[in-house]
Amino acid sequence: MALGGFANRIARINLSNRSVAYEEVNEDDARKYIGARGLGVKYLLDNGPGVEPLSPDNMLALVNGPLTGTEVTMSGRLAFVTKSPLTGTVTDSHMGGWSAARLRWAGFDALLITGKADSPVYLHVEDNAVEIRDAADIWGLGVHDTVKHFGSGSGNSTDTSVMAIGQAGENGVLFASFMNEDDRAAGRGGTGAVAGSKNLKCVVVKGTNAGRWRPQQGEERDKFREAQRTHLGLILESPVTAPSSVNDDGSLKEGSGGLSAFGTNVLMNVVNSIGGLGTKNSQETQFEGAEAVSGETMRDNFLTSEPTCHACPVACKKEVEITEGPHAGLKMESFEYEPAWSLGANCGNDDPAVVAKVIDQCNDYGMDAIEIGNVISMYMEASQRGYVDTPLDWGDGAGMVRVAEQMAHRDGSIANALADGAAKAAAAWGHPELSMSVKGQAIPAYDPRVLKGEGLGYATSNRGACHLRGYTPASELLGIPVKTDPLEWDGKGPLLKIFQDLHAFSDSLDLCKFSAFAVGAPEYAALYESVVGLPMSEEDVMVAGERIYNLERYFNNQAGFGGADDSLPQRFLDEPGTGPAEGQICELDQMKEQYYDARGWDDGVVPEAKLRELEIIG
Amino acid sequence: MEIRFYATLRPLVGGRTVQLNDPPTTVGAVLHRLIEQYPDLNDRLLDDSGAVRRFVAVMLNGRDIRHLDGLATPVPADADMDIFPPVAGGAFLTPFHRAE
Repeated sequence: MALGGFANRIARINLSNRSVAYEEVNEDDARKYIGARGLGVKYLLDNGPGVEPLSPDNMLALVNGPLTGTEVTMSGRLAFVTKSPLTGTVTDSHMGGWSAARLRWAGFDALLITGKADSPVYLHVEDNAVEIRDAADIWGLGVHDTVKHFGSGSGNSTDTSVMAIGQAGENGVLFASFMNEDDRAAGRGGTGAVAGSKNLKCVVVKGTNAGRWRPQQGEERDKFREAQRTHLGLILESPVTAPSSVNDDGSLKEGSGGLSAFGTNVLMNVVNSIGGLGTKNSQETQFEGAEAVSGETMRDNFLTSEPTCHACPVACKKEVEITEGPHAGLKMESFEYEPAWSLGANCGNDDPAVVAKVIDQCNDYGMDAIEIGNVISMYMEASQRGYVDTPLDWGDGAGMVRVAEQMAHRDGSIANALADGAAKAAAAWGHPELSMSVKGQAIPAYDPRVLKGEGLGYATSNRGACHLRGYTPASELLGIPVKTDPLEWDGKGPLLKIFQDLHAFSDSLDLCKFSAFAVGAPEYAALYESVVGLPMSEEDVMVAGERIYNLERYFNNQAGFGGADDSLPQRFLDEPGTGPAEGQICELDQMKEQYYDARGWDDGVVPEAKLRELEIIG
Repeated sequence: MEIRFYATLRPLVGGRTVQLNDPPTTVGAVLHRLIEQYPDLNDRLLDDSGAVRRFVAVMLNGRDIRHLDGLATPVPADADMDIFPPVAGGAFLTPFHRAE
């Protein structure tokens, strides 16, 4: 294959017979599905959508994109693609940091892992080769100790990246994640549980940027530099992503971007202000304690450093230290908006130390910090309603920490049920209505009654409830590309389709989604052209994104999913919000009709004509 | 009337909130009263034409004034107001792909 950016090398690893085979990337697949998310889903589809997620037959694909590891700003993302044990759908979950770049620099576009080892193993990846090595002495360790075992530091202080599961993945917690040395997570969908089912503890990658893609002298280099200069310039100028800096007195300098200065948690107060912050398992939609766990409070009181990912000046990650109380001395990373909501307002908890502690547990045990907050809030509502014998009260921080640890180890009957995720646990307890989940995966931090397009996004996401498949809050909340009324349902179907298709493309490059706060389809197209060497227009970007989104839906259709699964918890359909959202529900049926029309789908199913139109089938 | 400020706007007003006695009766007049007290707010909130900057969000009782009557929106006596700097903004999608 002659496409630029790619290493043109894939490793197929069968853990059952401990074999590794190498092959080139299929050029037709790379042209159609771009890389990372798109190519990963193609590999999963070819592996068969009917496999049991925790069986040896399932594939765990680690796939980077054509821009990964280049000098392109924000090109440090790696896709983990598999059939999810939480949802039964195809899922892709992306981690930041340096892992993606090191995998490319070590000589690989993808690791396609199937089978099950008869004893714990890990993969060592270096110099265009993969070795399957014994992991008996690290099985049972948390992620942090696993990273220490291999002597990996963080950021650019090392040439080694360690992507590991913790005890949760080993114990089959269905929302177990993959983590790396920088506490970056492939968090959603249970990728860590799939690894655990294969007796795969971690993937250790050694690679330096000596192995990165570089443009050829002359026209290719000029084109690349121009595309990258434009891309970087827009990121540096954006009011969101412009790097932050401080004055001598510690105050932020004018021009510091909101995301750079406060991290993703800059959203906490703005979402709360419109009454869109689900509270106490979404029984309410505004939280009095939001300020206490907001990005502003974290920066003012707890911030210690602002680490970043490969080729990124934004530094949205915020490292904090808790200085008082039972968790004093805790230093941790990834106090993000989503878990700050799921473990904060969603659990009636306004103690930032508890939020920090449970996120850190998730980082070490390897668990999805969005799902776990929903699991706990479901348990709390079950307690409120008298459905469980061992109750957990709203805002019980010590109880939250205890339950999180028990879940990671499946310790006790309650924690064992909760370890299957909010949807399965609520169903097992006879009260499925208590789970705020779609297709078995719990919701993120935007209430569907108040950000109605996002409600449609949760319902129609191909990997279960997710804000990152189609980020309509950009429009409904922030005014990008145009301001739409969050309370208006009309028009949200076509709007969501645009977001979903664009994200599918950028996830396949694989560029950080936050790049989209500064750049758009024209810049993505120019970067792709300059690295891969194929023509790519803005229209082509959207068609490729649509193709990838339909490919995922085609997988799910064959796995038994249809329109009935594009649903929302009943609470959002007939229990009105509170505060500014008083009287509001989510008009899902009307939006779905518009959405399916825009997609050309028949009740959630991709028709054959659409598959042919998009060249998914011949 | 209490007006709440967020993120990078807080240093400009010296805290999280500003109290206005006898507040004016429209959002525009409230903003101009605030700018009289804190002149640095002017460039951060308003563009050269006097309109609210594109990515600044002014919420009245939880509703963005862009979905009300903008600067002419009446301010009830017991209203809550929140003002956010651009927490997000940029190109994202080209006009070609904007939803109609």
